[in-house]
Amino acid sequence: MKRMTLAVFAALLMMASTSFAATQAANNNTVAPTLNVSATIQKAVSLTLATGTTGAISHCAVVASGGASDYTMNFGTVDALGVNPGNCNKFNPATPGTTDAIYWTDYQMLPVYTSFTTTITGTTVTAQVTTDFAAPHNIYIVRDTANSSTVPAGVGSFSAMGTGSADTVGVAGVVSGTALTRFIGVGVKPTNGATVLNGAQTATVTFTLTVQ
Amino acid sequence: MHGFPGSPKKPETKMPASFHDHENATHAATKQIGRVRRGVSSRWPLAVILFVALTSSMWAAPKLKLASSGTGFTVAGVAPAYTASFGTMNALAFGTPATNVSATALSNGALYYTTLTINIQAIGSNTGVVTAYVSTNFIGNAASAMIVYGCAAPSACTSSGQFSALGTSQAGATTLASGLASGSPSADVGFAIFLPDNDGATAFTGLSALGCTVSFDLYLNGSNTVSDTVTLALSNETVQSAVQLTVGSAGGGLTIGNAGGPLLDPFSMNFGNVNALGIGPSAGLTTVAQAGGIIYSTPYNVLPVFTDINQTSATVKACVSTTFTHSVVLILKDSATGSAGSFSDISTNCGAATSLTGSAGDRSSVARYLGLFVSNVNGVTAFTGLDNATLTYTLTVP
Repeated sequence: MKRMTLAVFAALLMMASTSFAATQAANNNTVAPTLNVSATIQKAVSLTLATGTTGAISHCAVVASGGASDYTMNFGTVDALGVNPGNCNKFNPATPGTTDAIYWTDYQMLPVYTSFTTTITGTTVTAQVTTDFAAPHNIYIVRDTANSSTVPAGVGSFSAMGTGSADTVGVAGVVSGTALTRFIGVGVKPTNGATVLNGAQTATVTFTLTVQ
Repeated sequence: MHGFPGSPKKPETKMPASFHDHENATHAATKQIGRVRRGVSSRWPLAVILFVALTSSMWAAPKLKLASSGTGFTVAGVAPAYTASFGTMNALAFGTPATNVSATALSNGALYYTTLTINIQAIGSNTGVVTAYVSTNFIGNAASAMIVYGCAAPSACTSSGQFSALGTSQAGATTLASGLASGSPSADVGFAIFLPDNDGATAFTGLSALGCTVSFDLYLNGSNTVSDTVTLALSNETVQSAVQLTVGSAGGGLTIGNAGGPLLDPFSMNFGNVNALGIGPSAGLTTVAQAGGIIYSTPYNVLPVFTDINQTSATVKACVSTTFTHSVVLILKDSATGSAGSFSDISTNCGAATSLTGSAGDRSSVARYLGLFVSNVNGVTAFTGLDNATLTYTLTVP
């Protein structure tokens, strides 16, 4: 019994001489405070454009502008007969003075999406001309009809990009982090008249990534 | 009280001569009276001797006394020798100090302080000043660990700035009370022990068995001659080692909170809304490229303090003691620079914690970067919403 009493007393002495707090300790050489870290994860999407890298063709540069538009691309000086070389590639009109010339380039889209827990196999990328060239639209935006990375073979490989609705340029199944190579250009009509556009003209294309 | 039988004999070498020195005080005079009564019949010598005896008795009455202030620590003993104790102390002011002793942590140690009362009496119409100095200091490393401070009346003596170190010689004594007179015979003064961090070779812990002695001198009417002296022995002072580790915000970084108070954990850090693309980081965060996701990074500081330990450097380690529920999506990382490629996972095994530094100095901030990796995974293992984890930082002074 006496031995037990002494043991208890010794334990009490030890507790009394060794005080602990989370950040401080006396009569000791170590202390271990804690830091609670919290974060709220959100899903995120990103779609970026870049200059194409397809071999054997020229590339019009995709420039991140940071201005009113996110990117810019300049096809240079173009005409309906394909006389000017433009800044990248061109297809001359099949019938000069009747059919259109196409000035075109490749480009890349990089869709990225994160923290999506739902089914994402239906993810798409669309493109739409949200600000078109002015009337009479003797210059217009075209895209590769095939929606593929295959280099277009001629004028017939292109179709006008939608202005009233979006065209799918990345079909369902777009994978996060996988760049898509596509082709875009301007078609130039052999239109004449008082109102036809000459000089520098600008249009805006909006690309939309939808994770679904 | 001065000169009572059984009172400790005053060390001749420690106390200057005074009017009521034991060797020529009341008892000697009284003995002389007896001898006179037995052997002399003339009245004149008797009158002279009585006058001398009475006058001598008046001189022998102690003029200076110490006492507990009521709100201060216990002052035991009688003039000219008193004792008191601050009890167990540490240089962090951590824990509960002795009764009626207060403790405050300072930027370089801690101050344990209290008050005591100085009383003067039998000084007639004179005015007194009381000074104090450490007449016998702590011995060895204890002298580095404990420094006696005083605070002059009428200051409240409730904050460290009101205290100053007492001199260690009579010539360097500190005035604690002045203007003492028969109409205002007492003053409450502050008395303290300052404990500096005192690490390394001069570190001291344990009981200072011999303690130290503070002498209080009474001077009258601006005289340079000591009118009376009492001593206060601090002979039961114990110093403990102490350690402290806090986590704090760094400039330009996330705010680190601790709702319980500056020295109470858990500390807290909220990265806010994060995503694997690093879009829109909260204030105080930067994003760092990392394969498979992104790292949100913030600078922060870890501040170790250690006192009365015979080492001058320490180790600081960290571990994730409670991982995020979604521990594949969110991972805590450490970096010394915050640059891309410099982050490494913080160990989730506290038995093998990640070393932040092996040479932390006392009160020297350790600047680190805490990274939160957010995986870009989609699908069934993806997660959105709030998640929490706990980091444990361990300071060890070897």
